[in-house]
Amino acid sequence: MTSAPAVLLLALAPALVAGHGDDAGVALKARKVLTCSWDGPQVVDDAVVLLRDGKIEKVGRAAEVGIPSSYAVIDYGDRWLAPGMVELHCHEAGASLYSFVNDLNDTVYLANPGMRASAAVEPGNHSMNMAVAGGVTTVLYIPGSGSNIGGQGVLLKTAFDTYAKKLVRDPGSLKVAQWGNPESWGPGVGMAFENWNTRNTFKRGIEYAKAWKRHADGAGPEPPRDVQFDVWRDLYAEQIAVSTHTQMYQVVLMTITMIRGELKMPVFLDHSTIGGWLTGALAKEMGVPAIVGPRSADTVSRGMINWQRNRHEGFRGVAAGYQERGHDMIGFNTDSPVIPQEELSLNAAMGARYGMTDEHMQIVRGLTIVPARTAKIDHRVGSLEAGKDADILVVTGHPADPRTSVEAVWVNGESVYDAERDGRRW
Amino acid sequence: MVAPVHIRIATLLGALASSGLAAERVRDAGAPGVEAGLAIRCAKALVVSADLLALDDARLLVRDGRIESVGRAAELPVPAGYEELDLGSAWVMPGLVDLHSHVAGSFDINGAVYQTNTGLRVKTSVVPGNARLERGLAGGVTTILFIPGSATAMGGEGVLLKTAGRVFEEMLVRDPGSLKLAQADNPKGWGWGMGRLTINWQIRDTLRRGLAYAKRWAAFEAGSEAEPALDPQWEVFRALLARRAQVSAHTQAYQVVAMTVRQVVAEAGLPLYIDHGTFDGFLAAEYAESLDVPAILGPRSMSSQNKGRGIDHDGRFLGVAAEYQRRGHSRIGFNTDAPIVPQEELALQSAMGVRYGFDDSEGGTILGLTLRPAQAAGIDDRVGSLERGKDADLVVLGGHPSDPRHAVELVFVEGRLVYDASQGRIW
Repeated sequence: MTSAPAVLLLALAPALVAGHGDDAGVALKARKVLTCSWDGPQVVDDAVVLLRDGKIEKVGRAAEVGIPSSYAVIDYGDRWLAPGMVELHCHEAGASLYSFVNDLNDTVYLANPGMRASAAVEPGNHSMNMAVAGGVTTVLYIPGSGSNIGGQGVLLKTAFDTYAKKLVRDPGSLKVAQWGNPESWGPGVGMAFENWNTRNTFKRGIEYAKAWKRHADGAGPEPPRDVQFDVWRDLYAEQIAVSTHTQMYQVVLMTITMIRGELKMPVFLDHSTIGGWLTGALAKEMGVPAIVGPRSADTVSRGMINWQRNRHEGFRGVAAGYQERGHDMIGFNTDSPVIPQEELSLNAAMGARYGMTDEHMQIVRGLTIVPARTAKIDHRVGSLEAGKDADILVVTGHPADPRTSVEAVWVNGESVYDAERDGRRW
Repeated sequence: MVAPVHIRIATLLGALASSGLAAERVRDAGAPGVEAGLAIRCAKALVVSADLLALDDARLLVRDGRIESVGRAAELPVPAGYEELDLGSAWVMPGLVDLHSHVAGSFDINGAVYQTNTGLRVKTSVVPGNARLERGLAGGVTTILFIPGSATAMGGEGVLLKTAGRVFEEMLVRDPGSLKLAQADNPKGWGWGMGRLTINWQIRDTLRRGLAYAKRWAAFEAGSEAEPALDPQWEVFRALLARRAQVSAHTQAYQVVAMTVRQVVAEAGLPLYIDHGTFDGFLAAEYAESLDVPAILGPRSMSSQNKGRGIDHDGRFLGVAAEYQRRGHSRIGFNTDAPIVPQEELALQSAMGVRYGFDDSEGGTILGLTLRPAQAAGIDDRVGSLERGKDADLVVLGGHPSDPRHAVELVFVEGRLVYDASQGRIW
């Protein structure tokens, strides 16, 4: 099975901290490239990808792309190249939710919009090394759901050993948790109160952002700085989005109608399980992407946990539920460590198993361009197109098929993982 | 990209179910004691016989709980009186066989009275139709070896069961299914002094005594000796000596696997299979192969560096199935050790085998989920392939069983429809 291309890579890879500065570029050749571009061709056969200065310079058919003579050429033979996967619900880029020192759930108030997950990042930890080996190259590292608004997530590359090099964007999102976990904050906190608390906090944040906008436009005085509300300036300018831990029909409905409809903030569903798919048509209409997981399916339980409230719909695929209702912005998440970070693609496989169709590459897009666009970082990651970060997976087949192995990973044009060279990790 | 076909199948069966009569006819048409038969047409039948892996555009005839015939649809007409089921683009394969399962009942399976407990029978704790078995069925697993835990060097007798069935008699395939042996790791917890050396000695000692007992009975049956006193502690050895059951060994690290093969096969001459073959046990693959010892692998799919155990792969990470295969082992199967890996995820174990380098170009995953374990347990006269005369244990799914993007849509056990995803998918 493993073969010539890997051997070739072994010979070349040490020299390839690729294409930075004055170094020459690198040309990767492969049988198939899944571009996952937003609206261009999705697949290029017998392709070559040129990398330079950490970016993708060109993608095209080998017969049509001239490789400059100074470029190192790596021929991956019959392997496929795919964009690095993007995970929008991760708790493992630093202090983990499961660690003894839980630094991701500082539930001081019921709403803590000023807190930053970036404070807890630990570059090069085991989970991120496993993420790389599983083909996950970008994550949204977010606070836990111990409070209604846990704070600001941060978008990071999984590779690299310094925060500066890992950083994609901070703030990555504002993390809202609607029902399911924040109840444990204290007595009286339930669906109705959380709804009120979210509305109240957002209204104050939006007023703060508007005051700064007026000031920037020369129409008002400089408002006093309030670090608790600063994140709304990015939200109001639509530079970032609200990532919402939301599930169950009515709760997801409130996420859409309240945060998007009433408060007009960019928002995506991030979890979005347990009957949430019943909102699929509305979510699509309102432009709210659905990033689904860690559950792939809803089951009926008659025990203490009665997720479906006695609706006799049986066992339903969550991704399929959104898709059947016309939603076309469906991605996947792990909620790692609930599902290990390296198993993101398996969540997508389960999406397919439970009925999500893949005829337009929705499954692979749900691992790449859809979450990238959702987090507003698709100018940098999520597809293999000229000008984007050179985050590239070398795989033996369809990325959502667990029989496929990830043989090598490039991030920012650097060969950060090579199973042959570094030893297989996943 | 390939669009999954299972929605169409579900629709077909949904339509079928909506006219209750039709569904009922298909449900039991192939069952034992039913006059009618069942004719199933499918795009691909994974036959898994000695000389044929798969057959395209196939038809299966099922009658009285058994497979009556398998052939190309064009060459195999539907006999009069048979109910027809056209599965369109779906595949049909034999029910999956898992030789390492602990979920057929209560978890009352570690009666660790002595260090070897050859007389204990795990069948006493079977609970038919429990939720884990139902999910196993929904994952296409139709036959399991339900075995005692590994708290002692010999946990007792396993039992081979179908996952479907309302009562024990309906589930039973063979009793005893195996004698369960466990080496290193778990049995050490029995008490102070139980290390690899003691466990090894215990096993040798018990095998010799059991074998002597079985030989006295064999001599009696041959008329050359008086009837021995019956001892339920040793009865299982009569089945082992007559090769009506095998030793299923929880064995994993290299030297432990090598010692298992040596003691049980080379020294005691009893039938054995490696069951729970993980870590670097593959280093003994050539030795196991030379003595015809099957390797049923899992729940770990790969072996990584573990200096504390003396496992050193020069920092590398190796696929367990791939390494057995690379050393020429020809009898590789997969197991879950359910509930360690859930029963319904057996097929995923084979996917992980491929991910870590197992060459599937000759259908090794399909064989390893069906015929190989059936052969290892000596029940390939009943299960493990789609051949005339075998139990009609059929799994209908959208494509290759190792690819979890294809879900199981229908499961028949002994000709009876026991799982229909369109009526409520559970996996």
